[in-house]
Amino acid sequence: MNHEVTEEGKAIVVALEGDVDLSSSPDARKILLECVRKGRPVIVDMAGVSYIDSSGVASLVESLQGARKAGCEFALAAISEPALRVLHLARLDTVFTIHESREAALAELG
Amino acid sequence: MASTQSGNAAAHFAERVGRAWLAGLAGLGYCGSLVVESLYWLFLGPRVKQTVRVGAVFAQMMEIGIGAIPIVALLGAAIGAMLAIQGIYSLSIFGAESRVVFGIALSMTREFAPLITGILVAGRSGSALAARLGIMTINQEIDALTVMGINPVRYLVVPAFIALVVMVPALTFLSNVVGLWAGGLYVGIELDMSMAAYVDQTIETLSVDDLMHGIWKSLIFAVLITVIGVANGASVTGGAEGVGRVTTRAVVQSIMAIVVTDMIFAFVATR
Amino acid sequence: MDTSPEPAESVKVLEVENLVAQYGERIILDGVSLDVHEGEIMIIMGGSGSGKSTLLRHLMGLERRASGTIRMLGQDTAALTGQEKLELHKRIGVAFQGGALFSSMTVGENIMLPLQEHTDLDLRTMEIMARMKLEVVDLAGFEDLMPSELSGGMIKRAAFARAIVMDPKILFCDEPSAGLDPVVASALDDLILRMRDALGMSIVVVTHELDSAFKIADRMTVLDAGRILFIGTPDELRAEQSERIQNLLHRRTEEETGDPEEYLRRLLGERLDKEGHP
Repeated sequence: MNHEVTEEGKAIVVALEGDVDLSSSPDARKILLECVRKGRPVIVDMAGVSYIDSSGVASLVESLQGARKAGCEFALAAISEPALRVLHLARLDTVFTIHESREAALAELG
Repeated sequence: MASTQSGNAAAHFAERVGRAWLAGLAGLGYCGSLVVESLYWLFLGPRVKQTVRVGAVFAQMMEIGIGAIPIVALLGAAIGAMLAIQGIYSLSIFGAESRVVFGIALSMTREFAPLITGILVAGRSGSALAARLGIMTINQEIDALTVMGINPVRYLVVPAFIALVVMVPALTFLSNVVGLWAGGLYVGIELDMSMAAYVDQTIETLSVDDLMHGIWKSLIFAVLITVIGVANGASVTGGAEGVGRVTTRAVVQSIMAIVVTDMIFAFVATR
Repeated sequence: MDTSPEPAESVKVLEVENLVAQYGERIILDGVSLDVHEGEIMIIMGGSGSGKSTLLRHLMGLERRASGTIRMLGQDTAALTGQEKLELHKRIGVAFQGGALFSSMTVGENIMLPLQEHTDLDLRTMEIMARMKLEVVDLAGFEDLMPSELSGGMIKRAAFARAIVMDPKILFCDEPSAGLDPVVASALDDLILRMRDALGMSIVVVTHELDSAFKIADRMTVLDAGRILFIGTPDELRAEQSERIQNLLHRRTEEETGDPEEYLRRLLGERLDKEGHP
């Protein structure tokens, strides 16, 4: 898994790439938790995510909780179809704020 | 006709003896491989990131060791007093009552403490081990561990193994102390000997070798209790009734193994 | 994770060839061959004594086979070292018939056990994962109960949650609907379908419940006396004309053929000597 953290406006955009699975999700979790701690809106761009398993999704849930605690927005953007199905199975698509694309998310939060 | 029939019967008998031998050998082989596998996980498991659960080891130690302290102490005291009573009675025939201290010290440390502790732990923890593994086998919990990629020997057997190997010698030591003390109490009353004099004489009599003789034996008993408990528990068939059967068998076989081993050990050590 | 762009149907996650299993002299499986594709639900059916449970135990790697090969996720299971076998086992999940939950642990601990043993995830992450799986099986909020406090259907669902906690590639289910009332059984069938659709896993189900089998199967294998009687789609099975299959589908037991004298002798417990005289 690769990641790229950029700042666009007041928002932080974390672009994840590749597989977010049991071996890489601890890294993803660390990066995301660091970002939400800054108290600024965080957008996770998942366009490059080819596969996400439930440990990856759990990390997203934890980050959402972190963002709520820090009082900032947390949104997912450009989720691929398979990843969306995983979220849907655990009924998490209702919990997260999900945007079509990074641009749409930025327009909302940035 | 008759001769062939008796020949058949003899052949049949020989076959049954042969099969029983083979089954016994297979059982011994299983027990041996269990010990080897346990040692493997204990020492080489961490290398493949498959460590033994420390929490489970301590839980087992509490259960097997700490939980047995009252009953081991009670039995140790009873045996110590019994040795004193019996010793004084037999030695009074020769008018040599004062020599009883030697008898108590040597019998307690070399024989009775490890034997009684071993039998007690076999009944208390060997049976529990067999029952627990038996129930887990029947509920497919062992299968579940295997298909999860968790080795049942590492996960279930090794913690019990470590706990027994540490706790049986420790309990034996406790039994020694309590037994010698109780013997001393009786000797003090009967022969009017002070506790200090009794302790002095006991220390003078006992060598480190005597003490270690008993402790080493108890260690072997611990290994026997583990492998016999596990082998029986894992071989369970036939539901809840089967668990009862293997539990009983585990206790009977452990006690048998302990007593026979004790005899062999005593024979070899006194040569 | 491999994400090859090939069509899902072409990837075989499980290939069994000429599997022979025996206990002592008795042959339980006699040359069984079958494939399971990625994302497929394969139902294995058969009466009691057909060998379906034995087949499942072999697929799960719990038995030593007499001959034949089993390739799972592309690896020959007989050729694996202990460590490789362990890695393979992390990628399969099993929901046992009786649940096989560890009775000394809470439901949550049961579900987290594979994660705790095999991953370096943070405890918090593991807890969230376990709760997510409990949500999937509709057991939210039950993580602190002991298995003994659950009903039969709940135990099965908790076992499902434990089986899928590592997101396995292949899920094996042993008699998922046995002993459950029809409503609960049907909910479990839906669950199996949902898990396949969402997670793309291949699912092998051993069952003798026809309704459930036809509802969820992509393909079905019918075993009889250790041999494969039929492999195909549910529609193909319905159309199959063979008498044994029709008997199975209509729950007819095969009529005993044999001579009345023999039957009488059986009842009376008489045995014949070698020359055929009573």
